[in-house]
Formats: sequence, C-alpha cells, structure tokens
Amino acid sequence: MNATTTNSALVEINDLHKNYGPNVQVLKGLNIDMMPGERVVVIGPSGGGKSTLLRVVMGLEQIQGGSLRFGGKPYITTKGSKTVIDSEVRKKIGMVFQHYTLFPHLSIMENLILAPRKVNGESRASARERGQKILERFGLAAKADAYPSQLSGGQKQRVAIARALMLDPKLMLFDEVTSALDPELVAEVEQVILNLAAQGMPMMMVTHDMWFARNVASRVIFCAGGVVVEDGPPEQVLGDPVEERTREFINRVFHIKA
Amino acid sequence: MGMTLDFSILLRFTDALAMGLWTTIKLTLLCVVLGTSLGFVIGLLRSNGNAFIRGALGLYVELFRGTPVLIQLFWIFFCLPLILGVEFSNFVSATIALTLYMGAITSETFRASLRSVGREQMDACVALGLPRSAQILNVILPQAVLRAVPTLLSNAVSLFKESALVSAVGMADLMFIGQNISNNTARPVEVLTVVAVIYFIIAFPLTRAVTVVEQKLLRKFSV
Amino acid sequence: MDYQLDLGAVTRNMGPLIEGLWVTLQLTLAANVIGVIAGFGLALLTTSKLAILRWPSMLFVEFFRCTPAIVQIVWFFYCVPMIFNVFWGPVFMGIIALGLNLTAFNAEAYRASIQAVPREHLDAGIALGLSPAQRILNIVLPQALRNSVPVLLTNGIGIFQQSALVAIVGVADLMYQGKTLATATYRPIETFTIVALIYLAISYPVGQFVNWLERRQSYA
Repeated sequence: MNATTTNSALVEINDLHKNYGPNVQVLKGLNIDMMPGERVVVIGPSGGGKSTLLRVVMGLEQIQGGSLRFGGKPYITTKGSKTVIDSEVRKKIGMVFQHYTLFPHLSIMENLILAPRKVNGESRASARERGQKILERFGLAAKADAYPSQLSGGQKQRVAIARALMLDPKLMLFDEVTSALDPELVAEVEQVILNLAAQGMPMMMVTHDMWFARNVASRVIFCAGGVVVEDGPPEQVLGDPVEERTREFINRVFHIKA
Repeated sequence: MGMTLDFSILLRFTDALAMGLWTTIKLTLLCVVLGTSLGFVIGLLRSNGNAFIRGALGLYVELFRGTPVLIQLFWIFFCLPLILGVEFSNFVSATIALTLYMGAITSETFRASLRSVGREQMDACVALGLPRSAQILNVILPQAVLRAVPTLLSNAVSLFKESALVSAVGMADLMFIGQNISNNTARPVEVLTVVAVIYFIIAFPLTRAVTVVEQKLLRKFSV
Repeated sequence: MDYQLDLGAVTRNMGPLIEGLWVTLQLTLAANVIGVIAGFGLALLTTSKLAILRWPSMLFVEFFRCTPAIVQIVWFFYCVPMIFNVFWGPVFMGIIALGLNLTAFNAEAYRASIQAVPREHLDAGIALGLSPAQRILNIVLPQALRNSVPVLLTNGIGIFQQSALVAIVGVADLMYQGKTLATATYRPIETFTIVALIYLAISYPVGQFVNWLERRQSYA
C-alpha cells in the first residue's frame, strides 16, 4: 500500500464526541483523516482522550456525536442516542491492549485460531498452519502449546499481536502496549511493531515512549482536552512543535525521560 | 473421670455404619450433580434473564440462603406432600431439599465467577470480531466455570456436611445410624466420636484439594 | 390441594414462637461473643512459629470445619456431661457448642486476613524502625481486623441459622417451638413457613449489609 497512489482516507473521523456519564466529556469534536500507509502516534497528557480515541476506532465505545468512515465506507454513526457500528467494517481492524488480554484458559495456538475459525469459518488445520507460520516469524514457535501464564510479558504481548494479525487486519491499533512490561522486555515488542511498520501496515497507537514514537511514526497527533491540538510529521510535533501546549508537554516529557 | 472407653463395641456395627455412610455418599453425590446443574442455569439466568425471572430467582436464592437448612428439610418433608397431595419416599424428599439448597448456593458461586471474567476479555472478543455465541461459549463460560471450581468443591463439602441433617427427619444416613447405635448401646462417646471421625476423614482431604486447585487456578489466571 | 390455609392457627400462638426467637437470639449473640474473641486468640495460635501451639490449634479448627455441625452438637450434648461429669442447662450447653464451632470458623477468617496483609507493609515497618510488637499492633492488626469484618458477620449470621440445630437436642429455640406448634396445631405449612420467614427477616438484612460493606471495601 502506498499513500501517494490514492487520495481517499483510510479512516475519517468527523466531529467525534464521547462522554463518560453525563458530566465527563472526553472527546469534544475531534477530527482526524488518516491516509492509507500512515503510522499515526497519538500523544498527550493522561485523561486527554488518547486511549478512548483508539477504543472508539475499534468500535468498543458508544459515542455521543460525530461519525467515522473506514476505507471510504460508513463505519460508526449515531442514530438518536444510539451508536450504530458496522461490524463487517470492524472486522478489518485489529487491536492490541495494554494488559495483553490473552484468553488464559486457551493455549497460545488456540488463542490464535479461535477468531479465524469463529469469524471467518476457517478450518482448524488451515488456521493452525497460518498460526504456526506467524509464531515462527515472531520466534514463538516452541510456545504454541503453552498457556499464557507460562509466558513472559513480552512474549504474551507478541502473541497478542500475532492473534490480531491472524485476521489479516487493514489497520492495527496499539494501546500503550509496552506500558505494563518490565523495561528489559519492551524492546522485543517494539521490534515486532517496527517490523510490521516496515512492511507497510497502517497503524494508530498510543504510547508514552517518545523514542519509540519518533522511530515508528509517520505522523504524530498531540491530543489534549479532547481535541487535536497539533498534527504533523514526527520531526515537527516531537522536535519543534508549533503550538505552545505541545511545546510545554514535549519539554516536560523529554525533560523527565532525559 | 470415672469412665472407661471401649471402642471395640463398634466392631459389631461396621455393616450398619457402612450402609449409613453409603446412603450419605449417594445422597451427597446425587445432590451435588443435580444442585450444581441447577445452580449453573440459575446463575446464568440471574446474570442475563429478564427482570421478572431475575426477581423470582433472586427470591428463591435468598430464601434458601437465608433460612436454616433444617427448616428447609422440614418444609419439604412435611409441607410439600400436603401441597402437592403426593407422598414421596424419604430419599426423594431429601434429594429435593438438598438439591434446592445446593442450587441456591452454587448459583451464587457461578454468578460471582461470571462477574470475575473481566471487561478486558470482552474488549478482546469485540476487537477480534467474535460473534456473540463464541464470546459466551468459547471465552466467558469456560473461564467462569474454571474460576468457579474451587468454590464449587467447597460447596460440595458443605453439602456433604449438611446432609447429616436428614437424620433429623428419619433418613438412615451415617448420622442417623450412629445415633441409633449410640442410643442402643448407651455408648455415645465412642460411637459419636467415630461417626465424627468418619465425616472428618472424608471432608478434610477434600478441603485440602480445594486449596491445591485454587492455587493452580490462581497461577493460570494471573495473566 | 385439600389443605385449607389457616394462618390464625399460628398467629394465635405467637407467644411460644417469640419465646423461641428470644432463645435463638441469645444463642446467636453469646456464641458470637465467644467466637469473635476466642477466634482471634486461636488464629494467633494457628499462625504461631511454635509447632506445639500450631498443630493442636490447627487440628481444632479443621475438626470443626470438616465435621457436620449437627454431629458436633449431638456429641457435645451427649458426651460432655458423661466425660466431664458436669450438668449445665440446655441453653448454656447450646451456647458453648455453637461458640466453639464459630471460634473455629472465625479463627480461619482471622488467619486469612492476617496473611493477606502484604509483606511490603511489614518491610516498610522494618524500614521505619518499628519494633516487632509495634509492627503487629500498628500494621498487621488494624488491617487484619478491618478485612475480616465481612467474613465475621457472614459467619455470625451462619451461626444464627445453625443454631436451629439445637432443636434436635431439645433446646426450646425458635425451630423447636415451631416444630412443637406444627405438631400441636396440625398446621405444618403455616407454621414452618412463618418460622422460615422469621429466620429470613433477620438473616437477609445482615446479608445485604455484608454485601454493601464488601463493595465499599473493594473500592477503598
């Protein structure tokens, strides 16, 4: 996939509003157009709505206003107070969470093949074969019959990525996927994501790791107070931000990290 | 103390005690199986069903959890036949009473374990696009049932102990036979102590097993 | 059914039921006083480093937890007078028998909540220079007591229900009065239903209170 050959956005987010309960407004009219092949990293202060944005894109949340389109087709809209989500479109998106969310009662291989079998009706044999290939690619072939509790955090998170890839997603969402990991395990997970990026997988992610953000992103969005404050290439937003609020945030974060 | 103990008198009654124990075990196993199945269905309905069903089942559960098992037994033995106009054998009455009791307590076990399957697991299901049937059958239920196992085992041990109450309504279980022997021989210390030890020998290893199973599961779910 | 309900047969005879309820409440409250206090002492023994204290106390706990309460009560009423050559009133006997049972169950509750106090808190106590006694008194005890309250209440209401067992050995509690009334009036349905509802009317609010308490503690 190449961004220059097409003009239509992969994801169009229009005037997105999201509240938790009557009093807490998390997203207040957010607009983002994400082009095919882009790797968007969303940064910002906690409570600024980053994770909520990813959860909305995944179709996990009810929204209070606005709409989302995916691949040029309507995906999420509101009808009165109801949120209408096209579950066929949703199947094209994969997501990896902070806390792995592997199914603890299933072996690694069973975790991988459950969705292909139940969602796409793929045969067990064919799904296993693809699963084995992905595990080999991720250096986890020996763990196929292990259970999640027998794996390290880094291994679990790589399995979670493999599980999402089994469904051949057109967009991957990563929600703070290294935040729960011990520092020495972060690199192995980031490497997998960088490899995916090199293969042209469109992705949207939330991370606190600014070094990783700079390495993986083709575009960085600074989100605060429920709106997009600044949006541009990583060199600009992370290196020389235009907006005062972005500058403050970046200075604070890099100051602490450095 | 001016009494001498003579446990050898019990040797004359080993057959009777064995028969009583067999009745206790038969009754317990039957009611564990029936009651746990009932509890599973009720737990599911109370977690999902409509408001009327939830209310009615809630009333049933609270009734059986909130009253002495002894009065439940009396009610089933003496009142149910009057209401239905049918006579039941002792064994059937005891099975009905203990099954209803077991159903009430295990339904709470299942309900708690269903709640313990976290929201994150549901999120993962949605993100993978799993259909509702697969979410329930392949992800939520297996985890809920596995998580329920230690408590269900405890519930079963409780039922084994509560089953001794059927002696009070004249059913010839281990306790009833023990009391009869005790009355006939006027040797309550020896006889009742041995009866207590028999219950202990069965219940104690089971409670240890609960601990072992619990630790295994905790490790498995520490994801 | 041919059976004609006649609640009047019971409501005209509420006197004995109320007397029985009073005995049941006495049994429950006194057994709880014993269980809450002695249970704590027993829990300290079961967590003792000395095997000679630990083993007998653990055997005591396990024996009460792994035998039917009715066996314990019948044993107590028949055997204690014979072995120790003492003759106590039936209500007092009932209180001691139920109290010992509750002591074992409460000891287990206390032990679990003592062990649930995180190791880090003790480490922090050492780091702050507290003496072993100060660590127990100021760090372990307050947390353990607070955490065990819901289970103690659940056990306490459990003994309220178990107290019905003393009817079998002739203590004139609510259950016993109910049984007598049912036989005397030939009105088992009305009598047993009303007796059951009296038990429920007391256990249910306590159970709800425990639920509320547990929810509140899990948020804290």
